[in-house]
Amino acid sequence: MQYPEPIAKLIDSFMKLPGIGPKTAVRLAFFVIDMKDDDVMDFGRALVNVKRQLVYCSECQNISDRDPCYICDDSSRDRTTICVVQEPKDVIAMEKMKDYRGLYHVLHGSISPVDGIGPEDIKVAELIKRLQDEQVQEVILATNPTIEGEATAMYISRLIKPAGVKTSRIAHGLPVGGDLEYADEVTLSKALEGRREL
Amino acid sequence: MYLETIQVEHFRNYERSSIDLSQSINVFIGENAQGKTNLLEAIYVLAMAKSHRTPHVKELIQWGQEYAKIDGRVKKNSGTIPLELTIYNKGRKAKANHIERKKLSQYVGLCNVVLFAPEDLRLVKDSPSHRRRFVDMEIGQIQPLYLHRLSEFQKVLQQRNALLKDLSRQTNPSTTMLEVLTEQMIELVADITHRRFYFIKLLREWAQPIHKSISHGCENLDIHYLSSTVDVSEEMDLSRLKKVYEKAFDQNQKREIDRGNTLIGPHRDDLKFIVNDKNIQTFGSQGQQRTTALSLKLAEIELIYNEVGEYPILLLDDVLSELDDRRQTHLLSTFKERVQTIVTTTNTDAIDHEMMQQARSFEVSQGDIIREK
Repeated sequence: MQYPEPIAKLIDSFMKLPGIGPKTAVRLAFFVIDMKDDDVMDFGRALVNVKRQLVYCSECQNISDRDPCYICDDSSRDRTTICVVQEPKDVIAMEKMKDYRGLYHVLHGSISPVDGIGPEDIKVAELIKRLQDEQVQEVILATNPTIEGEATAMYISRLIKPAGVKTSRIAHGLPVGGDLEYADEVTLSKALEGRREL
Repeated sequence: MYLETIQVEHFRNYERSSIDLSQSINVFIGENAQGKTNLLEAIYVLAMAKSHRTPHVKELIQWGQEYAKIDGRVKKNSGTIPLELTIYNKGRKAKANHIERKKLSQYVGLCNVVLFAPEDLRLVKDSPSHRRRFVDMEIGQIQPLYLHRLSEFQKVLQQRNALLKDLSRQTNPSTTMLEVLTEQMIELVADITHRRFYFIKLLREWAQPIHKSISHGCENLDIHYLSSTVDVSEEMDLSRLKKVYEKAFDQNQKREIDRGNTLIGPHRDDLKFIVNDKNIQTFGSQGQQRTTALSLKLAEIELIYNEVGEYPILLLDDVLSELDDRRQTHLLSTFKERVQTIVTTTNTDAIDHEMMQQARSFEVSQGDIIREK
């Protein structure tokens, strides 16, 4: 027996989400059938609105519901420092720390020639434009510690060095509060490489 | 170290099989195509998390099954470690001490094996890629970081080749991104070359006396690591190597863009074997090439012992019949007491009788293993 069309369509839609296979999709679809009408309506609206109401901040390129976004618009933030990250999720992570008071710039990806992603496919040009504002004194490169993230950071630093803006790269190594003995060899070697004099 | 038990499930032609191994010599006897080599492969895969026969691990899964699983208990000086490796269509899962090891570098090296298969007898004669693979696999066992560096190198190489291909099609290419990838590349190639030189130096030290003894003092073996693309040598330290590579990449940038390919790096290097001042790859007899291959394998055992502090497990896949008596005796007697040896053969006649008496033997027939006596 086949599923009635409305359910089949819903199952198909769920399967487009990451991490959801056929079995989970069926389970979710049947759960939706038993949900309260109001909840389903809210869910549907939320899905549509996330596409309709979300905009990219013209300053930092982060996703927001207004332009400029709350962070760029906040006059209490330090405008001399820009922290460059790969994804909007990274901004959330940094903000959780509640200790960074500067601005952000979201690249929306990393440079990866294999995948056909060049510097022009991520928001590098937008970053360079922002540096024309003479207030900016430091750019912190907080891309991921992967081959691509590292290459992206190195690329950006080469571009902005001539402008005389200070560039720095976040450190990587041991997690705080962890025991040395539990660290894997790769992390440990990175930590050793990045050692500093006391 | 030695394997106390090994258990396979849905592995190649094995439905399910479990055996207890002897601490010294184990012989698996059977006709062709019964599963002898599959069993050795299972032990190899358990130790290395990859196969020596195929780059596609999914070939290891029994036809029509979802997964293949190998369990084993390795007895080491420090205690017994249960190892478990499950292979799925998409990837594999490695557990040591019942805890999953997400990074392969945390798993490979817990159990050391040295495999000697018929194709290894051709190591000297085969293509350079075989010799590089040999070097990579062996260093990986003694230096966990090496495998990580190698996989990073592969990633940068892919990125760089993709970029070079792209640049070769442009009329006025910008080289900023290329310079970034070259900088990443130099870090890695210098490190890999440095580690390979170090390994070859150790291997040479161990192989020389062994080779002399197998050849009854008639032959002197020398091993060189050759770079086909840059002028590097064993004496150079890491910073010197970096400078050499820096210069080479600098000089070849235009050529690399024209060709759309990375032309420099350890992915083009090779080993050279010299016996009595002759390059035996081109001028050696088959016997000399085999003796050299054997010396290398035996040297590896000593090398691992020296670096790890324990003898590895020796896997001999049908090679006894390929060696003459003298080499055979040398192979088995040198390590009889110290190294767990697992041998496959179609015929026990070719094996020294006395040795067979002490060995634990198993019969392999159509994916079944039965202990004899």
